[in-house]
Amino acid sequence: MASHGIPRPATTAHRTEQQLQEEQLQIQEYRDLEDLIRTKIAERQYTLEVLQLTSKLLKKNPEYYTIWNDRRRLLIYGLFSESSDSSSSSKEPSSSSPTVTTSTSSEGVSSSAVSTAENLTTTLHDPPSRNRGKSGTILDLIKGELEFLFPIMIKFPKCYWLWNYRLWILQQANERLDPDIARDLWNRELILVGKMLVKDSRNFHGWGYRRMVVTQLESQELHGKSMVESEFEYTTKVIHGLNGLSNFSAWHRRSKLIPTLLDQRGADDATRQQFLEDEFDLIISAMYTDSYPYAQSAWFYYQFLMTTVTDYVGHATITPNWTQEDRVVFVTRQLAVLGDMLDGAEDCKWVYDALIEYTLALCQMEEREPLPDEKTDCQSWLMELRKLDHLRSGRWDDLEISLEKR
Amino acid sequence: MESLSDTKWDVVISGTGLQHSLLALALSRSDKKILHVDHNEYYGGAEAAFSLQEVDEWHPDSSTGTFQNVTLWKDDADTSSQSNKLSFSRAYTLTLSPQIIYTKSKLLGQLVSSKVYRQLEFQAVGNWWIYNGEGPPLLKRLPNGREDIFRDQGIDNRAKRSLMKFLKFVVDFENQPELWEADSECSLQDFLSSRFQLPPHLQSIITALTLSLDTPGRTIVKWALPRISRHLTSIGVFGPGFGAVIPKWGGGAEIAQVACRAGAVGGGVYVLGTGVTNAVDDRDKERWRIELSNGETVGTKHYIPHSGSANGSNSRMVSKTIAVVSSTLSSLFVNSTEGSPLAAVSVVVFPSGTLHLEEATQDCPVYVMVHSSETGECPAGQCVLYATTLYSATSKPILDAALSSLIKSTECSDARLLYTLYYDQQEDISSPCDLAFDDRILENVEEQWKEAMGSEGADGSSLFMQFEERRGINPDDDNDDDY
Repeated sequence: MASHGIPRPATTAHRTEQQLQEEQLQIQEYRDLEDLIRTKIAERQYTLEVLQLTSKLLKKNPEYYTIWNDRRRLLIYGLFSESSDSSSSSKEPSSSSPTVTTSTSSEGVSSSAVSTAENLTTTLHDPPSRNRGKSGTILDLIKGELEFLFPIMIKFPKCYWLWNYRLWILQQANERLDPDIARDLWNRELILVGKMLVKDSRNFHGWGYRRMVVTQLESQELHGKSMVESEFEYTTKVIHGLNGLSNFSAWHRRSKLIPTLLDQRGADDATRQQFLEDEFDLIISAMYTDSYPYAQSAWFYYQFLMTTVTDYVGHATITPNWTQEDRVVFVTRQLAVLGDMLDGAEDCKWVYDALIEYTLALCQMEEREPLPDEKTDCQSWLMELRKLDHLRSGRWDDLEISLEKR
Repeated sequence: MESLSDTKWDVVISGTGLQHSLLALALSRSDKKILHVDHNEYYGGAEAAFSLQEVDEWHPDSSTGTFQNVTLWKDDADTSSQSNKLSFSRAYTLTLSPQIIYTKSKLLGQLVSSKVYRQLEFQAVGNWWIYNGEGPPLLKRLPNGREDIFRDQGIDNRAKRSLMKFLKFVVDFENQPELWEADSECSLQDFLSSRFQLPPHLQSIITALTLSLDTPGRTIVKWALPRISRHLTSIGVFGPGFGAVIPKWGGGAEIAQVACRAGAVGGGVYVLGTGVTNAVDDRDKERWRIELSNGETVGTKHYIPHSGSANGSNSRMVSKTIAVVSSTLSSLFVNSTEGSPLAAVSVVVFPSGTLHLEEATQDCPVYVMVHSSETGECPAGQCVLYATTLYSATSKPILDAALSSLIKSTECSDARLLYTLYYDQQEDISSPCDLAFDDRILENVEEQWKEAMGSEGADGSSLFMQFEERRGINPDDDNDDDY
């Protein structure tokens, strides 16, 4: 079974005797590696060598989150600290010196940690001038981690631990490096996530990650400023791209950006109204460019836009200064648009659904009961809904009952 | 040296046009004795490619031959002041066959399985445009799918929906015969209007995708639907944003060259400048007696004659102009799809009635294939334009009008014509000029191959166009052992 076009390979297949034996060998190797890492970590051997052992295991099994934690510990108490240790640094917010964590360890371990630090220092050229630690080596380590992650993420694009670890590493960059250097890393992340979303434009991890990256880039700490315009433009691009019309993530992101966008533009009432009209034109055009079996994403966005008009108290709104009458006029217009759309799309259940919903919403806005005509219409639309979507008969029953009550 | 008549040939092929060259390729691994001749001094026949000098030397037999009314024009303005002028002869490879190959065509798969693909470099055909006489804009993109339709603000919502319904139908039309078989002999236009409520300007757009040289009224449903389907389903197969390719360095001519080379490597004997003057089928001895223009006579089991031009009711004429322009016409090559490769060819369609001339009406569509210098057919900074339309008394001025309208519509102020070559081409109705490679050619080749191979071809011991790599031939092979 494929999820939005991305095939899932079968994970179990028939195996020969030889294959089973080979597999046993691989399992043994893996278990040995795991044991080795556990031992070394327990001994607090926070060295480059152990880092590489964890790399070997994580490449095979990125879901083994304990090992990711070991790796974090290794970096904080081992490699990161050593790099900053040899500098005259004073600002070490979250990392502690090796002596604190290894207080219960034997002398042998501390000396190995120190000797590793010596190995590192002999390769350094930068004088210890920055008060945020040996940016040269820490940056190298961080970049190394990002590079290490990348091919694994291509292979396992939905593994939470990879995304978490990546974010953690970048946070480390925020804490340990100059804001400009950190900013550069985050900028590269934006490009990276852009590429991943081209590959699989509906990967929800990708969109969530993008949000986080943009928040970072906008943050004061990284000397950022608002990116709402470029992000809005990005959603426009994705929506107009391949299969963009059914990309729920893109439409959703767009909806979330609108309030800030309009505020930032200092949009006055006329501009806001035009914006609303333009968005409606866009989504209606999208709905006309669809055909059976109709995409739901477009209808969700339509619903969002309508709610900014009908149910705006406490929610996002585009036209905050519209009077009740303005809203009523607009909703009435939309009902006509929907009626028009129905002509030629009698097999689209979303139109009937919307017609009923907004007829009732209109009544609510005007604080009145449905007129007899409206009731008849709703009932006939409901009949069509039952035919087109018989799996939801329970829901239609409820709707029928609530209609009758009025 | 042995004379040709000393050998008992299995197959004699006359003409090195594309189809016959593919046959030579198909037979190149068999142990058959192949003699491949061509009365021209060059390979490619009616699909050949020429340098400028070779064009000058090209004197096709105008009275009865395939090519007639050849007219050449060169820009003789004071070129010393112009920076972009006609370059030296070998800087150009002008092809008589600028055919595009759809990604869904079987040809590409066969070029791969026969292992000659490595000698060819394929480039994308992207950016399809339609000329809108009224304008502005004069050129509009042809929508290739849902995204293009959505973006097109010139199409109203109802039309968008109708177009989508048609697109959904056409990519799966074989499985819905009830929707079209009754109308299979009707004109595509009428079908689109009555069954899909498509207005005239959308009918033009759909018709343009068929690359039909006929008038809209004579483009019928049965012929058009598979072509539209092929066009739409080919997009994205090899990458985003394009659905067809052409080989670099001269299109079909390059494939013919590569195929003949494979034939020669396989032991086939090639003689250019030698045609067949007479062929007698000696049934008693199951052999042909072929008289060659060099005076020799050879005997062969199978004879594949030159696909000559027919006369009379079986034929039709097509008019073509090849033109060199002093500009990159870059506005035609702007990609609209994310991640798509740079296209080397853009296609511009002039539907019937969009060109306005004083002395003529444009009844038939005109197609212009624009080849950038990426095709290797001209120097950087220039383009080659291949214009095609059905012959009529006024087809030359119509082609000229198309070229000048095209140049004007790109708004490249420095663009001017440097060179034009006009000619008419006679052809058999059964294998008409097609701007897109027709897979039926492959069916013909396979049939001829089966006949020549006899039992070997029939029992499956040899597979059509499926070969192993040759050892040591490919200069890219570092390691002879790894296959």
